[in-house]
Parts: sequence; structure tokens; C-alpha cells
Amino acid sequence: MQRSAYAPWIWLFPAGALLIPFFLLPLAIVVRNSVYFDDPQGLTVPAFTTANYLKVLTDPYYVKVLSNTLLVAAISTVVSLLVAFPFAQFVVRTSDSARNLLLWCVYVPLYVSVIMRAFGWTIILADSGLINHLLLRLGLIDAPLRMLFEAEGMMVGMIHRYLPLMIIPLITALQKIDGNLLKASGNLGASGARTFLRVTLPMSVPGMVAGGQLVFAGVLSDYAMPALMGSTKFQLIAPAIYYEAITNSSWALAGAMATVVLGLVASFLIAANLLLKRLAPWALTL
Amino acid sequence: MSQPDDTQRNGTALRLYAAAVVVFLLLPIAVAAAVAFNNGERPDFPPAQMSLRWFASVLHSDLLMDGLCKSVIIAVASTVLSAVAGSAAAIAINHHRFAGRTLIQTFLMLPIALPAIVLGLGMLFSLPMLGLNVGLVAATLGHAVLGIPYVIAMVLASLANFDRSLERASLNLGVGPARTFFRITLPHIRPGVIAGAIAAFLLSMDNISLSLFITRNDTLPLRLMQHMLSYTDPSVAAMSVMLLLISLVLLPFIARTRLG
Repeated sequence: MQRSAYAPWIWLFPAGALLIPFFLLPLAIVVRNSVYFDDPQGLTVPAFTTANYLKVLTDPYYVKVLSNTLLVAAISTVVSLLVAFPFAQFVVRTSDSARNLLLWCVYVPLYVSVIMRAFGWTIILADSGLINHLLLRLGLIDAPLRMLFEAEGMMVGMIHRYLPLMIIPLITALQKIDGNLLKASGNLGASGARTFLRVTLPMSVPGMVAGGQLVFAGVLSDYAMPALMGSTKFQLIAPAIYYEAITNSSWALAGAMATVVLGLVASFLIAANLLLKRLAPWALTL
Repeated sequence: MSQPDDTQRNGTALRLYAAAVVVFLLLPIAVAAAVAFNNGERPDFPPAQMSLRWFASVLHSDLLMDGLCKSVIIAVASTVLSAVAGSAAAIAINHHRFAGRTLIQTFLMLPIALPAIVLGLGMLFSLPMLGLNVGLVAATLGHAVLGIPYVIAMVLASLANFDRSLERASLNLGVGPARTFFRITLPHIRPGVIAGAIAAFLLSMDNISLSLFITRNDTLPLRLMQHMLSYTDPSVAAMSVMLLLISLVLLPFIARTRLG
């Protein structure tokens, strides 16, 4: 409003007053704690060490937790993309009323409590659950398949939780493609497949990148799904961080694990943005 | 996109595929909702006998009702903070050009992308430094941080087609900046503020990974999680159905802004 140089800073003040003490400061403390010592009384001793990182990155237990988490995040991102793309294309091409209904079906799960979604999946995937009941009835299996409290079942819950976050940016990206471009490509003699590869696919890159960022970062640090549907034999990093911090009072070690997660998420976001700049220089990034 | 024509029509296979995705998205919610109406002790699907007994049981559970109360307090208070801070920040970004604007905008959106579990771990240490303890106040401040980016995104969307000459005309006519804001700017961004606030409210009501560290494990999602890990009765489903109704009432407000 006012034309003074400090006007924007007045408008930014409330957000700064929340984000500096309750976002920036805590993150800085986690990074600081990660280079301190844990002492047996559960205190952190302020003396520099890299031992926590050494442990997180070389000890077989922590390496396994980290590789499990990266594996689940990578698989969930790829599967979400493969599932979401044809669906998003269908939504963009369909009639207005059908599109609104489908969008509603995508938005609702996003705002339904995670607990309810996990509860629903436990009923569906349990040893005596819906799927096993059906397969036994059809005579396709003799004994129930074990899916719940295994990595596979948890991954289904994870993909269900994050799929809408892939679908929505993809729809936004596909909606922006001018239909005349597709017609022009066809008129110039390109086959449907060639038009898809040379026009639709490159122009949907911004949506894929935005969706990929949300799904990958979400799965990488998800606590609820592994806690409610996961296996103790297949640990993920978020519950492991909570365990080290709260149960073991190993604050420095938990700090190192958290910093590694932070670093992974940050480098993924940056790499995805760089990729976007190369592949789709016209698109604005997050 | 233009009108669908022969080159871009949805075939039967694609229709079936879309239906399958919709079933995947909604099935667990529908199953959990159906289970809530069980009459027995176990979460059978489909329920052998229907009843509302688990709804009554949830409404009489001190643990869950206390959790609901705390979650609502935290969600309402943090939503107000996010709405004020996020709307003001969106105006700063939309109306002004200043040094470090892009950097600040990126920073403001970071709470969406960075893991809440890391934030929670850090807050356990930063809260005592600021003279605070885990509990309602800490949870309100923490959840407010997570809500800010959602409000900013929605308010920026509603500012996209805002004609700033209206503000200038008002100021030129001698109306003060505060009055101009409340009479011109705020009415224009109201749908964005409401949509952002509702998103922030629903996310706060459902937060687990940050609340784990900064509450006494007494918010509704944490109580439900503990219940689900120790008992296999339909009460989690019954409580979820009640929360689902809240979401369904509030969701149209978000969708309207998001989808234009």
C-alpha cells in the first residue's frame, strides 16, 4: 500500500516472527546437535565429532534403514507417476461434470485422516481381510497371503496416501497444453504415439517434477504409515529417528539421522528444479 | 484444452482404468466407514449386524474426547496464526518488489517440503530456549508454521487477478491505508484466505509427525494411533467417520479456490 521501502517487511513480519523461532531455529539446532556427543545420561555434550554421521552412514543397521527408506520413496514415486499419468490424462479429456466428480475423488482422500486410511487398509490387507477372503473363496490361494505389517502392504498405504499429490500437479500441467498443438502435430503427419512422446510428455514435465517432489519428500519422512502398517523387520527412517530420540535419548545420533533426511530431501528438491530448468525452461518452479 | 475430438478421446480401456484408480482412492475410506457401524467387538467387513454402539462408545471415551478437544483448540488457534501471517506474507510478495524476494518466497514455502519430523526433533530443544514447554502452546505455534505455506499459496492465487489500481484509487480519494486494506484488498482475497485457513485447519487436525515431539501425546490423532496399535475394535473407525464428516463439510471451500 504505502510506497515506503520498509512496507514489504511490515507485511512479512508476522510470518517471520513464526518461521524464524519455530522453523529456522529448530532446524539449525538439529544440524548443530548432529555434531555433538551423546553421553550415557541422555545429555548432549557440546564437543565436535563426526562419529554420529560415521555411524549413520556405515553401521549396517542404519545403512539398512536408510536404504529401505530410499527404496520405498523411489518405488512409491515411480508407481505413483505411472498410475497417475493415464488417470490425469483421462481427467483432462473428459466432460466437465465427470471431471469435477473425478477431482472430488482425488481431493477427498487428501483431507481424510491418515489414521482412517491406514485403518481401512488394515481391514483390506489383513490375513483374514477382504483380499485374502476373496482369493481364498476363488481358490487362487490355499493359505492367506501375508501383506499387512509387511513392506508390501505398507507401500500400498504409502502410495494411497501420496497418489493425489502426484495426480493434482499432473492435471494442472496437462490442462495447460493447448489442444491446437496436438492437432497441429497430427496434421503434420505425426502418429498418436509420436505426438504423445514429442508434445504431451515434454509439456507435462513440470507436473511430473512437482508431483515427484511432493511424493518423494513425503514418503521419505513419513511416520504414520510405517508406524501403523509397517513391519519391525523393515524399518523406515522417520520411526527410527523418533525411537533414537525419545526411547534412547540419543539426541545427537537422532540429529545426524534427521540431518541426513533433511539433506536428502533438500538435494532432491534442488536436483528436480535443475532438471526442470533443463527440460522445461518455460515453466516456473515451486 | 480444446473440445475433445477423434485424436484425443477416452476409450473404454481408459475408462475402466480411471474407475479402478477411483476405487483404489476411495475403497479404504469406504471400508473404514462401513466398519464403524459394526455391532460386534471386531472390525468385521461387511458388518454382520449394524449398530451405532461404537459411535456412542467413542463419545463416552474420556481419552478420545479430551484428545478431540485439544486437537480442536490447537487447530483453531494455529489456523488463525497461519491465516494472518500467510495472508500478510502473500501481500508482501504480490505487491512489492524488494531485495531477496524470490529467496524469501522459497523460504516461506519450505515447511511444505521439509520433513516435519526433523522440525519436531529440533523444537524439543528450541522450545526450552524460548521459555516454552511441550503442550498446547507449543503445538499451536508448530502447527501454525506448517499452515503458512498453504495460506500463502491460496492467497497468492486469489491475488493473481487483483487490480491494484483499485487500491491506488482508494488511497488517492483520501481513504487511509488501513481502511483501504479492509474495504478493498481483504474482500478480494477472502476466498483465498478461507481456503488456506481450512486447509491449515484440516492438516493440523490430522498432524502426527510434528505433534509426536511437541505435545504430551494427547492430541486426537496420537490417541487414535495408540488405540489402533493396542486394540482391534471399530472405535477408531467410528471416530474417523465423525472427522470425515467435518472434512466433507469444509472441503468444497478449498476446492472452489484451488480449481478456480
